[in-house]
Amino acid sequence: MKHRTGRNQLKHAVERCRELGRVGQWKSRAEMAVCPPERKGYTLSGRSQSMDSMTPLRRLCLLSVLGVFLTVTTSAQNQPKIPDVTAITLEDLMNLQVTSVSKRAQKLADAAAAIFVITQDDIRRSGASSIPEALRMAPGLEVARIDQNKWAIGSRGFNGRFDNKLLVLIDGRSVYTPLFSGVYWNVQDVMLEDVDRIEVIRGPGATLWGANAVNGVINIITKSAKLTQGAVATAGVGTDERTAEAARYGGKIGDNVYYRAYTKYSDWEPTVAATGMNASDGWHALRGGFRVDSTPTRADSLTVQGDLYRTVYGETLTVPTLSAPYSSTFPNSGNYTGGNVLGHWNHAFARSSTSLQMYYDDTNTVDNSLFTDHEGVFDLDFQHDLHVGESQEFVWGLGFRSIQDSNGSSFTVSLRPNHSSLNQYSGFLQDEVSLFDKRLRVTFGSKFEHNKFTGFEVEPNVRFVGILSKNQSVWAAISRAVRTPALTEEGLQLNEAVIPAGIPPFNSPLPLTVSILGSSQFKSENLLAYEVGYRVQATSTFSADIATFYNSYANLRSAEPGTPFVEGNPTPTNVVLPFVASNKMSGGTYGAELFADWRVVPKWRLLGSYSYLQMNIQKNKDSLDPTPDNPDGASPRHQWYLRSSLDLPKHLEQDLTLRYVDQLASLNIPSYYSLDAHINWRPVTSLEFSFGGQNLLNHQHMEFIPEFINTTPTLVGRTFRGSITWRFE
Amino acid sequence: MRRVGLLIVTTCLLFAIALGGHAEGVDSSDSSEYLIKAGFIYNFAKLVEWPTTAFAQPDSPIVIGILGNDPFGATLDRIVADKKIDGRGFAVKRVKWSKDLRELKDCNILFVSSSEKEHVDSVVDGMKGLPILTIGDAPGFAKRGGIINFTLEDNKVRFEVNVEAAKHADLSISSRLLTLAKIVQQVAADGRKSE
Repeated sequence: MKHRTGRNQLKHAVERCRELGRVGQWKSRAEMAVCPPERKGYTLSGRSQSMDSMTPLRRLCLLSVLGVFLTVTTSAQNQPKIPDVTAITLEDLMNLQVTSVSKRAQKLADAAAAIFVITQDDIRRSGASSIPEALRMAPGLEVARIDQNKWAIGSRGFNGRFDNKLLVLIDGRSVYTPLFSGVYWNVQDVMLEDVDRIEVIRGPGATLWGANAVNGVINIITKSAKLTQGAVATAGVGTDERTAEAARYGGKIGDNVYYRAYTKYSDWEPTVAATGMNASDGWHALRGGFRVDSTPTRADSLTVQGDLYRTVYGETLTVPTLSAPYSSTFPNSGNYTGGNVLGHWNHAFARSSTSLQMYYDDTNTVDNSLFTDHEGVFDLDFQHDLHVGESQEFVWGLGFRSIQDSNGSSFTVSLRPNHSSLNQYSGFLQDEVSLFDKRLRVTFGSKFEHNKFTGFEVEPNVRFVGILSKNQSVWAAISRAVRTPALTEEGLQLNEAVIPAGIPPFNSPLPLTVSILGSSQFKSENLLAYEVGYRVQATSTFSADIATFYNSYANLRSAEPGTPFVEGNPTPTNVVLPFVASNKMSGGTYGAELFADWRVVPKWRLLGSYSYLQMNIQKNKDSLDPTPDNPDGASPRHQWYLRSSLDLPKHLEQDLTLRYVDQLASLNIPSYYSLDAHINWRPVTSLEFSFGGQNLLNHQHMEFIPEFINTTPTLVGRTFRGSITWRFE
Repeated sequence: MRRVGLLIVTTCLLFAIALGGHAEGVDSSDSSEYLIKAGFIYNFAKLVEWPTTAFAQPDSPIVIGILGNDPFGATLDRIVADKKIDGRGFAVKRVKWSKDLRELKDCNILFVSSSEKEHVDSVVDGMKGLPILTIGDAPGFAKRGGIINFTLEDNKVRFEVNVEAAKHADLSISSRLLTLAKIVQQVAADGRKSE
């Protein structure tokens, strides 16, 4: 038995390392409490799958319970105490790793970051049918729907359709586009049934994840093919979703090669604009993909995975024109096609592990009225984790990314040059030291990056976790992060409006085109963040987590008026009034995020979250940016939700979520409440019926108004959806 | 650019090879496996309903029998020591294999240790129709007619449930438990037919 366990540990270590990207780096800190030192190296690499379906808080609490008991075990050898595993739910037990008790006791830990995990169970029970919908469960995250196929998703302020401070990864592959520094949310999808967890880290993660992990990191992690064996088919329909189907099959080749393949199609109804008009924003998406996981030797694991997709979207677009009426609003459409392939190899040694990851991601954007773009990203990452002595973990890595972009323009949007090639190099190192009998853990390190636009960037951090007692811990962190320029910030011309000739106060003889221009002078935006958090497991059924932060930003983007110039192409000849991307805004933000989890009775759980955000971002004195100072308006000051998760007899599960989102002052969007209800019924194990209603209280509300590209935002109405899922072994 | 990539790959490979020379085996001891499994057993007790006939009195304890080599040590006893489920406490007893299965039949939960591999069929046959939650410690137990067995997957404890066997034992298993379980069917083998 022991022998087998040992082997499994190794296998598992390998498996964990295979989890892609530096996902869960902090989460894995928490997990160290259940990891023997041999594996800390792997743990550091953070590809952990353990405790994967727990919220970090529950996990931490659980670990505190286990860890402290185990600490006691080592200190008082003759009368060992045993953790009260009866206080742990079955779901949580499923995620505990079988590891060495005595060694585990050497590490008592939790995460020195504001992290939240959305589990597979959360996704299933919420009835979420897309990643943005699932993300609404993360405390403090700002998720606003712009129209049926566009979202503004942000963390700790600065929300927008082109939010550039949130890094998003799917299985270690960055889906943050270097084109405009943001995420095409309508092409980021996976088979939700195969998602292991979504880790949401609020606050900077630049030391590990690099540039653009400024205000948050979202890691979408799918299960290994080994855990998705058999077939799943799901079909759904709703008042806003014409049809949604997905199917997956997972199988095995030989002893240690597992695979799965999936395909998914969904088609969404258009919604209405505030005027009551159909906004032509219906869309449909077809995608498919595969994943192969294998362990050719005990110490090696390999993953190869890939996806192909095509998304066709509609919208109502308003663009400026050079002739009367100088602006035109019409139904626009476009599509995204793309694919990616990723390989990950991990090798485990006794006291260290190495991983090598490579991917290529291809995105083709065709907007029928604005822009075409083809973007290819090749990325290579190496990481080495070592365990040094009894109380140190060391990890370092190297990365290379090459981005090829070619694009086509319109009068509204143009980008120069039409072809560009960018190479980025990076390296990072981080050390973690445990002090005072493991009651204090200090992590420090830095990322070093080089990019074509701004040269070298350094992103250091230092993090502390203190264990106050067996069920309380505090953490603190100071970190620096940068947001490097996107291609658009260098070479964009975005025409926002045309002012006809002869209109006062300009009285220009030619039409005036108001444009936003990129600039080669544009620098990185940077952040110095101070964070403090506290976690407590008050009783076996109640736990709470609070994270607070103060962020100090410098060199934030502003748009400074430039020298007007005459442009003869396109005709008629017009005068361009440029507003040039510049770095003349700065300021601070602060806030707090609170999350609590109370299992009232074994079959009823209440979860609550509240977040507060205060922004004070202002133009520098020398800025001439004409936009009024009020960037805080695009993010809500207060947000909260209360969720009830109830297990009923007859295989019924019922979930209710009441959400409140504060007004967005500068966008003139009022606050709103939303009530979502969802019920799951599993009459037999292979069959599941799901029915849900969203936004049940409120007939319609607006959530966001997009910046830069003037597409018509639409109302979020009351919707109902139902689905059937079959599972076969 | 290609060259840089190649350089990185080569460096990594060399590094991996260099380190590979020092690779040692990973060993573990004092596994928490049985602590976690004890937690599972407690949870099973909570999520399985016995027919009233299974207990002499409303407050009769839930008797957990451990057949064969006891991998729990004192863990299981301590964990359930002062726990109550629906007014019932727990009693843990160790049982050695013997042909007459009388001692096993007083149990409400019977944990069949992996030392009893060769007796699995006799135990399953002997317990047939009795309201006893049989739990095996090795894969295949449920397929051979036991009700639940543990497995290890990715270093985590998982379990398989034979729903048919539970039905025959007149035990009702909560959906919450079944949701988390891998459901297995009885395997028809050597004349031992699944019904």
